[in-house]
Amino acid sequence: MSSPTPHRASPRFGRRALLSGALGAAATTTLSACGSPLSAGLVGGQLAPGTVQYWNLFGGGDGVRMITMEDVYRKNHGGPSSLEAATFTWGNPYYTKLSLATLANSPPDVAVAHLTRATNLARGGLLSEITDADLALVGLSQSDFSAKPFEKAKTDGKLYALPLDTHPFVLYYNTDVCQKAGLLDSDGLLKPIQGAAEFEAALTAAKKVTGAYGLSVSTIADQATCWRWFTTLYHQQNGATEFFGNGRELTYNQDIAIKTLEYMQSLTIKKELVPTTNDYAGAGTMLFTGKVGFYLEGEWEITTAQSVKDFKFGMTTIPQIFDQPATQGDSHSFVLPKVKHTPEQRKLAMGFVKSMLDQSLTWAKGGHIPSYKPVLDSQQYRDLTPQKYYAGVVDYVTYDSPAWYSGSGSTFENIIGAQIGLVEQGIATPKQGLDAAVAQFKTYVNTADPLA
Amino acid sequence: MSATTNSSSGRGGVGISATAPPPRRVTTTIRSSNRIFDGVSWVVLVVAAIAWLLPSLWALKTSFTSNGTSAVGAQAILNDWALTFDSYLTLIKGGDLWNWYLASAVTGVLTVVISMFVCSLAAFALSRMNFRGKKWAMGAILVGIMIPSQVLIVPLFAELNQMGMLGTYWAVILPQVPQVIAVFVFKRFFDGLPRDYEEAALIDGASWWRIYTSVIVPMARPVIAAMSIVTFVWVWNNLLLPLFVLSNPKLMTIPVGLATVQGSFGQRVSDIQASSILGALPLVVLFLIFQRQVIEGVAGSGIKG
Amino acid sequence: MSAAPAAPAPAAAIDPSTKTTPARGARRMTRTAWGFLGPFAVFYVLFLIWPVIYMFISSLFNTTLVHRGLGSFAGLANYREMLGKNEFWVSMWNTIYFTLLTVPPLVFIAFVLAVLANRVQRGQWFFRLAFFLPFILPSAAIALIWNYIFTPATGLWPTIQGWFGDTNPQSVLGTPDLAMVGIALTTVWWTIGFNFVLFLAGLQEIPREIYEAAAVDGASAWQQIKSITVPLLGPTTGLVVLLQIIASLKIFDQVYLMTGGGPGISTEVVLQLVTNTAFTDYRVGAASAASVLLFIVILLVTLVREIIERASAKSKREN
Repeated sequence: MSSPTPHRASPRFGRRALLSGALGAAATTTLSACGSPLSAGLVGGQLAPGTVQYWNLFGGGDGVRMITMEDVYRKNHGGPSSLEAATFTWGNPYYTKLSLATLANSPPDVAVAHLTRATNLARGGLLSEITDADLALVGLSQSDFSAKPFEKAKTDGKLYALPLDTHPFVLYYNTDVCQKAGLLDSDGLLKPIQGAAEFEAALTAAKKVTGAYGLSVSTIADQATCWRWFTTLYHQQNGATEFFGNGRELTYNQDIAIKTLEYMQSLTIKKELVPTTNDYAGAGTMLFTGKVGFYLEGEWEITTAQSVKDFKFGMTTIPQIFDQPATQGDSHSFVLPKVKHTPEQRKLAMGFVKSMLDQSLTWAKGGHIPSYKPVLDSQQYRDLTPQKYYAGVVDYVTYDSPAWYSGSGSTFENIIGAQIGLVEQGIATPKQGLDAAVAQFKTYVNTADPLA
Repeated sequence: MSATTNSSSGRGGVGISATAPPPRRVTTTIRSSNRIFDGVSWVVLVVAAIAWLLPSLWALKTSFTSNGTSAVGAQAILNDWALTFDSYLTLIKGGDLWNWYLASAVTGVLTVVISMFVCSLAAFALSRMNFRGKKWAMGAILVGIMIPSQVLIVPLFAELNQMGMLGTYWAVILPQVPQVIAVFVFKRFFDGLPRDYEEAALIDGASWWRIYTSVIVPMARPVIAAMSIVTFVWVWNNLLLPLFVLSNPKLMTIPVGLATVQGSFGQRVSDIQASSILGALPLVVLFLIFQRQVIEGVAGSGIKG
Repeated sequence: MSAAPAAPAPAAAIDPSTKTTPARGARRMTRTAWGFLGPFAVFYVLFLIWPVIYMFISSLFNTTLVHRGLGSFAGLANYREMLGKNEFWVSMWNTIYFTLLTVPPLVFIAFVLAVLANRVQRGQWFFRLAFFLPFILPSAAIALIWNYIFTPATGLWPTIQGWFGDTNPQSVLGTPDLAMVGIALTTVWWTIGFNFVLFLAGLQEIPREIYEAAAVDGASAWQQIKSITVPLLGPTTGLVVLLQIIASLKIFDQVYLMTGGGPGISTEVVLQLVTNTAFTDYRVGAASAASVLLFIVILLVTLVREIIERASAKSKREN
């Protein structure tokens, strides 16, 4: 028997010694750099303290545009290592990650949040307040922001978010189809549509041209869009009330909700003006390929639409189909997750936000209506088409009813959106759909607010 | 005390269980009347194997096709045989892929090293020593096998939060150290090992630690290797725990990175498929090298899993 | 009993089988033994036992993710909520439905493939590779591959359906009734290797002589399988079925990655309800209650398995 040596265990592991050897080599090279992933992962501490870490949830065209804006920041602020950006899956997965990272004390310096979600993050103590002094650090002031989103950015009177934009649900139209259907005026713009009769007449005219359908809107695997379309129609009716009263009681108007669902279902099932099954991408493709004349989605799909070859389209506000104009919308904003920051890091983070706000025109080209007034009031923005045809909608955009479980991509939207989709597909009746959603809300409404 | 027999086997053969007989070689005496049956068997197996390989091959083919083609659809991918490495180059150059590899390798190796060490120590004591509380310890091991650790994700998160370990590799490593099944497999193996050496050594005045390091561990190398590799694969593939305890994309393991940071690839189908191939690649290589250990480890831990 | 450090035991530590040691030696042996057990025990208590205890405790409180401490006492309210709400039962049923969809094919196909692969002499390594390889790949990679195959309209699956004349097939993962089937199919493909290997190991323990004797008696291959292989693989099959049930009850990865529980909550499973409640809704207390309920279900299945195993071991001894 050989005599035991204190560290004989490691050579005994045979081939694994090779691995750990390689690992050791990697460790010596990467550990030396403070703030490297390896040192942060093993001993904690901040990753790359000198750079701005920025998280967002932008996919598709928004994602591409945001990367352009990030690159401008990098160019002006000391090269590629000045900013580290990460994009997560949209909706709850993103907000869950952001919350968990903040709890784990390793959040990004700056993150994007919908205003309807930022309030909940702030109430959970996950955001740090943005003071006038913070704004002053980078030459900003409260008056630089559009009033409606800025008010929405406050929680309990304190500012926790800086709005970048307002993004309403809008109507896209295929210029060729609408031209042939006689729906355009002499300037090649969509003639105003008012009331359900005119709306359906326009859809019918477009359907005759396309030979397929009049309008497309996503109905499957896309709860958010289902909700946007529903709540737009719902709030266009007199007597429509907020869905929740401070999150603790259901205050929606049941008759109007049912009527709205019935209307949506009549468009798909009875009148066959809208296809029953389309996912997010499929609904857009139908417009681009001329299978429909109209398409409903947030204004951000402008980037995709513009990238389609030989495709001419216009955008405008959602027609007033019922008693009053209304459109669902939300705002993207920048938040500073709560973490111990040095004054320099704070300034760096604010500097990044300022740089993004300065590039609001780039962002606006992606369809969004800027919140940053110097850009919003600029001639350059006013000249943007088709953006200018719906920019005025900011004044009457409906944000989701506030509750700890509501907001863009929230549990609330997931629950009700799924049921709306089933109604549109004709799988559930309006009453069944609403009842199923309400039954699920009961738990939430009856539960003590975990953020309180 | 358990018997001290069975000194003959334990190193070769199935390896995981010292008492298991070596596998039997298939003899070549197949009756001709069974030819048809064997022919059918072959056909069924080949068809099944093709069906099983198809999804991987499809991902592979897509990853070598340009993003432009793959965006059009499956038919276009079948028609376009101009293969390209572009997707792989994109992933290797940009993104956090290397950091994900690093996180997976570090958490995998450290978990395996710590876990195999503490589990084999415990198994050694349970197999070789007589002590007060042994029944309790054995009972605890049996109870531990029954605890489905995935169900503990919420309390584990809360605990790691209180310990201040969230967002570090340790939040992934430490909870995966107590591999109860490994203690069980090791103990069963140790029980089957001969005791002649250690009895002699004890009389010579050797310590238990020395018996562990110079008698038991060398003899148990096959089983330790098999369990190490299986544990490594398990830790590497684990999604649930790292998904919630590692939030920073720079620190994510491969599965978490693949699952959460898709946004940066947008709708680029080929890049996504290439990322899944690259995420799986280290394990494919590991499997091809350590095929026997992987299979023995899986079969061995499964028997009493 | 304290876990003393693993002090290298001096010469006095003597083999337990020689009964000459007085009480002092036994005590020392106990100390040494706990020294060896200590490191494992620390991890075991910290990361296995304490979480179980904490889970039970916090299930009785309004514990939240964002506030420190346990929060206000809730009594059984969290359990009442879970047992009273549709979503819990839907997710429990989905979990069981997934189990029902996956266990039979996973056991049956693995059994058939293993029996056939065990008979062929050439190329067994190839089949082992083909069937087993997916099992060791990360679920995230598997999900990316299969999500892409199931992509509506442009994916491989609808394309193949198109070849067979179904030009406008329903989206597999986007249709409530089909989504779980799609997940189950993916799971069968992914994990069949595990059972395949267990069966193969079981098959190789059946002595070849039995088959040879049967062949001499003129038994056909089919008869051999029916009267030798199937009965002798009985214990392995029982084990595989139970392991599979327990594994299926713990399903999370595939659903999280492929459908996120959708469309609606039509594929949501219990572990997902647990993580959504804890990490998205910030409600640790309620999530703990759901965890406890799943924990109990899995424990019951495990206990059934123990009982069956003991019974079969007993009957074996009696034979």
